[in-house]
Amino acid sequence: MGCYSSKEAKLPGYEDPTVLAAETPFSVSEVEALYELYKKLSNSIFQDGLIHKEEFQLALFRNRNKRNLFADRIFDLFDLKRNGVIEFGEFVRSLGVFHPNAPVEDKIAFAFRLYDLRQTGYIEREELKEMVLALLHESDLILTDDVIETIVDKTFNDADSKGDGRIDPDEWKEFVSKHPSLIKNMTLPYLKDITLAFPSFVGRTEIEDSEV
Amino acid sequence: MDDSPRTILFDKYEMGRLLGQGNFAKVYYGRNLVTNESVAIKVIKKEKIEQGKVKLVKQIKREVSVMRLVQHPHIVELKEVMATKAKIFLVMEYVKGGELFAKVAKGKLREDAARKYFQQLISAVDFCHSRGVTHRDLKPENLFLDENEDLKVSDFGLSALPEQRRSDGMLVTPCGTPAYVAPEVLKKKGYDGSKADIWSCGVILYALLSGYLPFQGENVIRIYKKAFRAEYIFPDWISLEAKNLISKLLVVDPEKRYSMEDIMRDPWFQYGFMGPIAFSIKEESHNLPSAIEGSLLDNEDEVGEKEEDGGGIRNNKSSSRPFYNAFEIISSLSHGFDLRSLFETRKRSPSMFISKFSAAAVVGKVEAVAKKLNLRIMGRKDYMVRMQGTKEGRKGKLGMTVEVFEVAPEVAVVEFSKSAGDTLEYVKFLDLDVWGGNLGVLLWYTKKGLFLIISRDLD
Repeated sequence: MGCYSSKEAKLPGYEDPTVLAAETPFSVSEVEALYELYKKLSNSIFQDGLIHKEEFQLALFRNRNKRNLFADRIFDLFDLKRNGVIEFGEFVRSLGVFHPNAPVEDKIAFAFRLYDLRQTGYIEREELKEMVLALLHESDLILTDDVIETIVDKTFNDADSKGDGRIDPDEWKEFVSKHPSLIKNMTLPYLKDITLAFPSFVGRTEIEDSEV
Repeated sequence: MDDSPRTILFDKYEMGRLLGQGNFAKVYYGRNLVTNESVAIKVIKKEKIEQGKVKLVKQIKREVSVMRLVQHPHIVELKEVMATKAKIFLVMEYVKGGELFAKVAKGKLREDAARKYFQQLISAVDFCHSRGVTHRDLKPENLFLDENEDLKVSDFGLSALPEQRRSDGMLVTPCGTPAYVAPEVLKKKGYDGSKADIWSCGVILYALLSGYLPFQGENVIRIYKKAFRAEYIFPDWISLEAKNLISKLLVVDPEKRYSMEDIMRDPWFQYGFMGPIAFSIKEESHNLPSAIEGSLLDNEDEVGEKEEDGGGIRNNKSSSRPFYNAFEIISSLSHGFDLRSLFETRKRSPSMFISKFSAAAVVGKVEAVAKKLNLRIMGRKDYMVRMQGTKEGRKGKLGMTVEVFEVAPEVAVVEFSKSAGDTLEYVKFLDLDVWGGNLGVLLWYTKKGLFLIISRDLD
């Protein structure tokens, strides 16, 4: 939409809030409030208006150099264009999945892709063990290999209902329906309050009164 | 668009009749098209307050951040903010019963009715003060009644956040409505906003019991003069106890005026005081349409201290010992998956822990700790313990739930959640009494590298 030529220069990767609102569970005002957050995150280290991996790590861990397997996965899934940065449109569309009103199927599918580390379309046993090890490492927790094997085995026996040594999307869906807490972190209640958290957008909005 | 019969706002709210009008804003009735919930929509025309965009943004930002801080059963809730180029829309809780002022205009209230509203007012104002927020414009016009005849305080447009204080902690912006404003505010010197609120509460109590204001005059100067000297006369129908309390509130010297603690100890105030509306501990949501939906509803608390339910809708439907699978461990304990960090800057109190004990052992320890801390055990189901504090807090008694999940024979994940009460009090309780208390230590907690081991004296 051409009407977004404004006093304030928009960042690269910026997209029209009305378009993003139509594609996601967010309202126009919520998208504009998210833009306030996006500006903060995307300029925290590099002033280029794009979220780089280091900026993402800084926001999550208060430490730009802290690598983490799970944060890497989230970043890669947010980076829809796979160009190494998260643009505003990618940010809003991905966060849309985390909205309390987003379809549960989307959340389940997103979580599956997170755990499918090598993107084979299946969650393999080695992938699960790798994630368990990464978590234990992150938590400075030392468990014996026997205990870890037990945890992974038990989980796999439960989830891999076809018993072919890997979890496919259907098995995953069934597993999540048995254990709904698995996708608890796929919902961010914050997103419902986003306009209260970033109210600065009220002074910058470009929405015409006729549009609402 | 304001006057057309059916106006839809952002495809989300239907605008209805005009409810009220102020200098800068109009308030309309509204209905959420999805949930059917009634709301009040405050419409602010930007041109009316726009003396430079910066000031507008600052003012709205302040009002919004204040209202976000003070979510309380006796304070009108702000739900969301929307904006166009010309207007700002504040979507608020709709309070059905109208202004308390309308009641008082019909005549004085009975003493027990006045006391109930005053108690609710004090519980709301005390809550704000505990959050560093002062209202500074308390008056009957800002007090509403809901359908249960309970009080709701509104209009924090002028309230002050801590940052607005001078270095000595005093406020400098004079504001408020003359008849209710404390003398030190009128004198335009720095003042303590919470003491000024207490003065206004005194004026309100007087008005509730008398049916008119304590300081009256043909013009503002005369009203001020009377307020400066605390010059007022009691009607004879007010009881001695109530007169005594009012006379301790309408004290010109803020230093000598009653504090919140003094009010709470006053015998007239205390009569029948039950604290704020109790936040009942809801039963687990097993009866939700589907378990998955339940888990999505589960997590309301983080944003604005909305009360969440008892916490436990996890996979504890079976009575066998709950097992925590590998994906559950990863999704609940990994920081990399916790996107809440993107939205908030303050430190979150940890709620998930790993313990190197069996689930049964942890439950035993939790109960032992509860006894030591004087918590009442309200319920115990499998590997979930529900406890309640004994003290009356700002939002009623604290309620907490501890759930224990077994990961492996000697490894358990322990989850703490608040099921009732004030979040700030809960966090303090956890930090001081549970983690930092003299109990020795409870659990082996790993998320922030803090190692706790169950102390022996609990065995």
